[in-house]
Amino acid sequence: MESNNSNSILDRVGRRSGMTVPDGYFQDFADRMAASLPVQEWERDAASSPARRSVWQIVRPYVYMAAMFMGVWCMMHIFNHVSSSPEMTIEGNTVLAQAVGSDTFIDDYILDDADSADLLDDVWNESI
Amino acid sequence: MSNKPSPEASARLEERLRDPSQARKAFGDVIAAYSEPLYWQIRRMVNNHDDANDLLQNTFMKAWLSLDNFRGDARLSTWLYKIAINESLSFLEKEKRRAGVSIDSPDARAASASLSADTHIDGDTLALQLRQAVSQLPEKQQLVFNMRYYDDMKYEDMSAILGTSVGALKASYHLAVKKIEKFFAGED
Repeated sequence: MESNNSNSILDRVGRRSGMTVPDGYFQDFADRMAASLPVQEWERDAASSPARRSVWQIVRPYVYMAAMFMGVWCMMHIFNHVSSSPEMTIEGNTVLAQAVGSDTFIDDYILDDADSADLLDDVWNESI
Repeated sequence: MSNKPSPEASARLEERLRDPSQARKAFGDVIAAYSEPLYWQIRRMVNNHDDANDLLQNTFMKAWLSLDNFRGDARLSTWLYKIAINESLSFLEKEKRRAGVSIDSPDARAASASLSADTHIDGDTLALQLRQAVSQLPEKQQLVFNMRYYDDMKYEDMSAILGTSVGALKASYHLAVKKIEKFFAGED
């Protein structure tokens, strides 16, 4: 239990300490103190480093890389689509089927074992 | 008048302090916000305006120079109070060593001399008597009494600053009040 005597003294004094400061002391102090702070090494480093980059500048390389992958994916998708198209198969393309079924086409375009003497004979026989 | 920032404003200030491009401006705001509460804390310990002024400058200078050590583990106010109190205790220790007195053995003459040397007072006799009573206490008890009585600081905050348990602080405050009571009983 705290004494009534002490409490009455403390109650009578309140929070007053009786101490004062010169007029405008705190404002003057803050101004003087802020002006007297020495420049620190890390402040110089921050000042000499490049200006802070914008969000776009930071994400730009990632956006470009994502766009490149999207382009590659699109190209692969298109190639896959073309190669699996029915027009590109023998069964699905009548012109191609006729050509493959023709001996002349095979002789003229596929077989390459003709020598120059045979070619001259062919030219002679065809009266060209 | 105390213009200590709110916890939210203090958190924003801490964030700006960690940004090297904003730290100087933010520290100016720290000085503006904390110079008054820290000044009174120091002044009540050293009982003299000129010494309090020097110690307050040292406090902010040390805080500025060790700003990169402030990681935000402790609150900004706790960190600043710790520096101010350490500066003041070191100063008092030097003064007492110079006078050949132990820091834990209050010396009535030294305290009276310090109080009478203080020219920035308002002439309130009762307040001066209380200061004399407080100056008779050991430094650590003075600290606890001043923080609790004049600043109305919570025991939890005092515990964070002084690194002492809440129970020990309560006991210390109780003892301080008892000694002040004894001082005034002797005055009557």
